Amino acid sequence: MTQSEPIFRLEGVTHKYGDLTALDGIDFVAEDNSYIALLGPSGSGKTCLLRVIAGFEKPDTGRIWFQGRDITDLPAHERGIGFVFQNFALFPHLTIFENVAFGLRNGALKISAAEITDRVSSAIEMVGLSGMEDRSPDQISGGQKQRVALARSLVLQPKLVLLDEPLGALDANLRERMQTELRAIRERLDVTFLHVTGSETEALAMGDQVAVLDKGQIVQYGTPEAIYDSPALSDVALFLNRFNLFDGRLDGAIFEGPFGATPVSSVRANTSDVYAIRYDRTRIFDADVVDLPGPALPVRYLASEYLGSSIVFLFETEDRKTVEVDHHLSLGEPRDLTVGEKYTLSWDPAQAIVFGKETAR
Amino acid sequence: MESKVLKPILAVYVGLFILFLYGPFIVLGILSFQQGPEGGPQFPILSWSTYWYQHLFGLTPPSRIAPLPVGEALIRSLVLAFMTMVTSTVLGVMAAQAFRKRFRGSGIVFYLIVLGMMVPGVLTGLGTSLLANNVLGIDRHWWSTAFLAHVVYTFPFAFLVMLAILNRFDGSVEEASWSLGVSPIRTFRKVTFPLIFPGVLSAMLFAFTLSFDEFPRTLFASGRDQTLPLAIYGTFSVEIHPNIFAFGVMTTLFSFALLSVYGILMALSVRRAKKMAMQEDIA
Repeated sequence: MTQSEPIFRLEGVTHKYGDLTALDGIDFVAEDNSYIALLGPSGSGKTCLLRVIAGFEKPDTGRIWFQGRDITDLPAHERGIGFVFQNFALFPHLTIFENVAFGLRNGALKISAAEITDRVSSAIEMVGLSGMEDRSPDQISGGQKQRVALARSLVLQPKLVLLDEPLGALDANLRERMQTELRAIRERLDVTFLHVTGSETEALAMGDQVAVLDKGQIVQYGTPEAIYDSPALSDVALFLNRFNLFDGRLDGAIFEGPFGATPVSSVRANTSDVYAIRYDRTRIFDADVVDLPGPALPVRYLASEYLGSSIVFLFETEDRKTVEVDHHLSLGEPRDLTVGEKYTLSWDPAQAIVFGKETAR
Repeated sequence: MESKVLKPILAVYVGLFILFLYGPFIVLGILSFQQGPEGGPQFPILSWSTYWYQHLFGLTPPSRIAPLPVGEALIRSLVLAFMTMVTSTVLGVMAAQAFRKRFRGSGIVFYLIVLGMMVPGVLTGLGTSLLANNVLGIDRHWWSTAFLAHVVYTFPFAFLVMLAILNRFDGSVEEASWSLGVSPIRTFRKVTFPLIFPGVLSAMLFAFTLSFDEFPRTLFASGRDQTLPLAIYGTFSVEIHPNIFAFGVMTTLFSFALLSVYGILMALSVRRAKKMAMQEDIA
């Protein structure tokens, strides 16, 4: 990945639907030639952001820059930004070949028939659909439609392609294959992908960079590792679905939670006091063990889920909150637990992340 | 079983419905083969003949019964129906397209358009003629005032048909086209129009047939030269001869021919629409 000039830049982009603020003053700079995953829960405004960049909707305030040019007032068809829809939006009355050729044939530039045939054929070959040129969109599978939609955009050689939950309509097997393929295709071309998704695993797996969107604002932007290891806000941690989060009260350097009072070393600014510890860093002990690595959280064992490479144990705290422990099987066989029995959970306090509404230190 | 009782009742009901629907036409069809020129609109048939069909085309020796003065009226009505069809469909598509986005006053505009098909036709016709004669001081013609009255009447039908079609239309294919660098006008021509074509056909059929046999509005608004419904009505007021029935059969056959064309075009484009629907299901 080469870091260079920003491919696009958002300056204070705000968009409202009536009283609802979908985008709330977004500032964002995207590097050229990279894979950016835009992660957000439903209703966070992520699709709206994509539509604003594509030019399907106009922001109420703010500017959008693309390749060093202000495109805020440019209509969608003059932007040269590709868009891949969740429902693919293929043209049902055209063959696969004509779908891919559509932009070349009907765009502002006049392109010779021979060149169109050449470029369309190589685009179809790139997505592995050679031989299907004459089929119509209702004669191919969901995964193939996805490839046609991608080829249709890429044949125009855009510098930026926006993908709106492109894998959402595919089944789990296909989704994983397409993840690998999308990355491979992007790396072959000099193009930036902005991939919107509601799935944290998809975002972390695919993005060179991940932007987390919440309530119309980008709350964190960084590499998947950085986001996974140190979420900037408790909402990000919650959304990553990898942390046990405990509400409590932070008083100076002491956090009081369901596990008692624990000293904390560093605190991140947040709207409430929250203590976070990753599922795979939470450990299980018998209820009467006293030699613990850190705080003691009394729990009752509920159930386990086998995930192939790891096992997830589900516990319940005294105030009926579910707590998860992720045990990776490469670390050895998991211990046998009895459903309904009491256990104690503990962890190394240095691995916890503490959010506090007092000023961060 | 409930269906043992219900089914025969429904069958009888449907039978009666079809009888009343086609009864008048069957009677008309039988009477058109009445003997001529002395036979009239009565049963029983004196003897079967095609006299009145020949009479219609001026192939019979001269008799006391004047040929039906419908030749020019028929041409006028066809031309008027065609003009109305094109205008109303274009307006209907454009208006329905405009209603895809909520705009200020869209509710009021909607009712103003739809009112055109609801106000009593005689009043519209009378109003149109008064407006032309007394206010604007222009002559009434079938191609001017009557044409306007027809468009006002048929435009709402075309509009409602297109509104229903566009309501179900998934706009993401248009956005996809824009994002491929294709201008909105070309997108409409290459993507939207082919996909809404079944609806456009229906709107055209509505506008044409409604205009072709429009009576109350045309009565006052058309001026001196009459359209077909007016010409036929004019012959009634003197004396009724079976040549009217022969003419009725001919126009009905023409309508069937029109419907067949519509049916064929529809079948061709419905195939596309199905593909569209399948694609939407996945989404």
